[in-house]
Amino acid sequence: MDASSAMGPGDAGFLTRFREKFLFLENPKYLQHLLLVPVLIFFIVWNVIPLLWLVGLSFYKYVLVTGEPLKFIGLTNFKEIFGSFEIWHALSNTFFFVIIGTLSQTVLGIILGFLFWDSKDLPGRRFALTLIFTPMILAPLATGSFFKLIYDPVFGIVNYFLKSIAGVTIDFLGSTAWALPSVLIVDTWMWTPFMMMMTLAALGSVPKAELEAAEVENLSWYRRLVHVVLPHGKFILMLGILLRTIDAFKSMDIIFTMTGGGPGNATELIGITLYRQAFNAFTMGKASALAIIALLIAISFTSIYLYILQKKEESM
Amino acid sequence: MESRDRKKRIKRRLYHALLWIISLVFFSPILWMLICSFKTKDEILTIPPKWIFTPTLQNYIGLFHRINFTRELINSTFMSLSAVLIAVLVSFLAAYSFSRFKPKGTDLIMFILLSMRMVPAAAVVVPIYLLYAATGWKGTYSGMILFYAMFSIPFSVWILKGFIDGVSPRFDETAIVNGGSRMHIIFKVVLPQVRPGLIAAFIFNIIFVWNEFLFNYIIGGKRTITVPVGLAQGFTVGGGIQWEFVATLTAFYSLPLIIFIFFFQKYLLVGMTFGTVRGEV
Repeated sequence: MDASSAMGPGDAGFLTRFREKFLFLENPKYLQHLLLVPVLIFFIVWNVIPLLWLVGLSFYKYVLVTGEPLKFIGLTNFKEIFGSFEIWHALSNTFFFVIIGTLSQTVLGIILGFLFWDSKDLPGRRFALTLIFTPMILAPLATGSFFKLIYDPVFGIVNYFLKSIAGVTIDFLGSTAWALPSVLIVDTWMWTPFMMMMTLAALGSVPKAELEAAEVENLSWYRRLVHVVLPHGKFILMLGILLRTIDAFKSMDIIFTMTGGGPGNATELIGITLYRQAFNAFTMGKASALAIIALLIAISFTSIYLYILQKKEESM
Repeated sequence: MESRDRKKRIKRRLYHALLWIISLVFFSPILWMLICSFKTKDEILTIPPKWIFTPTLQNYIGLFHRINFTRELINSTFMSLSAVLIAVLVSFLAAYSFSRFKPKGTDLIMFILLSMRMVPAAAVVVPIYLLYAATGWKGTYSGMILFYAMFSIPFSVWILKGFIDGVSPRFDETAIVNGGSRMHIIFKVVLPQVRPGLIAAFIFNIIFVWNEFLFNYIIGGKRTITVPVGLAQGFTVGGGIQWEFVATLTAFYSLPLIIFIFFFQKYLLVGMTFGTVRGEV
């Protein structure tokens, strides 16, 4: 069993001594902390310190490039944020984006999930699913830039079909009215497969016996959904919806390439505002304050997520 | 009786055809891009679209003739692999501790770890940028790799803790009784049993790091440039967007991930829900 016992007594000396010296680490009392050390180092250097920095900066006026010294201004950054039309506009855009996006992805995803539920014997199933799942693993930046071509008013394929069918051309990403819906369509295309995956998982959590019973009793699809599927699968679906909400709230890369927040500020989401405050205007203090607000929103989402997760585990 | 069977079979066929049509509809934008990557620049911009054309590999050859592309590709591969491997290793150790010893503050740390990943990237990048500018880590390989590792740790810890919780502590106890050391238990007893968790953590995080743009754009430098950043910077060279470049690069760069999810499809769900949801897809 022991590596050192297999060797001769002479050459094992160093190893044994070495081992004995660290034997105390076998004690769970020390080991439990030792195992955490690497993660804790990461956690402190890349999370705790930046976070404290962020909180501190949010009370200062700090413009990066001017070389102006830091100036303590108390809560002024927060007051400015709450009084800023631009930021409220970005927030309302974000909520529109989150709610409409998550809603359409959920509805479509559930429909697709139900369609694919009974597909175990589909020829080439794995290949078909790979095709469906591909949109969500592509780099959002690449997807965004490619959809620029697809949406292009002159060279885009969507406008080609639109023109030959309806005789109109729409500048999808260039018009204030169409930009946000167009981005939403891409987001929905990307993430509907995720909700489909969650629906399949939710359906998979329903005991086979209950599904068979529903089959025998010939229940309508509506009653199957409400009385058989939802009681078991609802928490998984809720986790999926919440993850989509959080992710949509974070959306950045895709909009960054497709519209950059424009035209005007038609597609400006909170992530883009934050980016502009920090790296276009270099107003780091104000950006920090905004980041803290975003952080608080994220923490509340996480709490809801964990609450539902707990419910799910209790119900299982 | 026979005709009823036949009817059933035809219905089944139609159902399968429908599923395949749906799959292809979802894939169609990517397919369009793939087709474009084999067209010449003029053909891409021809309206009405040219459905029949002689495919050319010129774009792919051109891709490798771009200055920097090889470097970007090597950077992407090297940085994502090393960051995710570091993250999975340290997360595994921490997850073992969280799962078996439940040290004080376990729940709190798990909660904060998760919250950090739920924050919009732009909010995270502000303080990290300041930290990196102050310490001189900006634009260094170690700075980028450790940052990506940090970003991969939260979900890895969550995924792996779930899996280790699923391995009965009896295994540990038996090994201890038989005189096994803790290191033996962790790496020889528990690790092999949570292999699906390791794969899920690896896949999910590598997808993220491989595709990541914003952080590299802000806290990276010329030396550490990755393909997505190269794409963002290269796509309007010399006036007008170079569509053939965008299409070819995207198709080429996405291929490894598509192959990944073809072979590891069942780990995608676990990965994307950081271990909180498991099941067949």
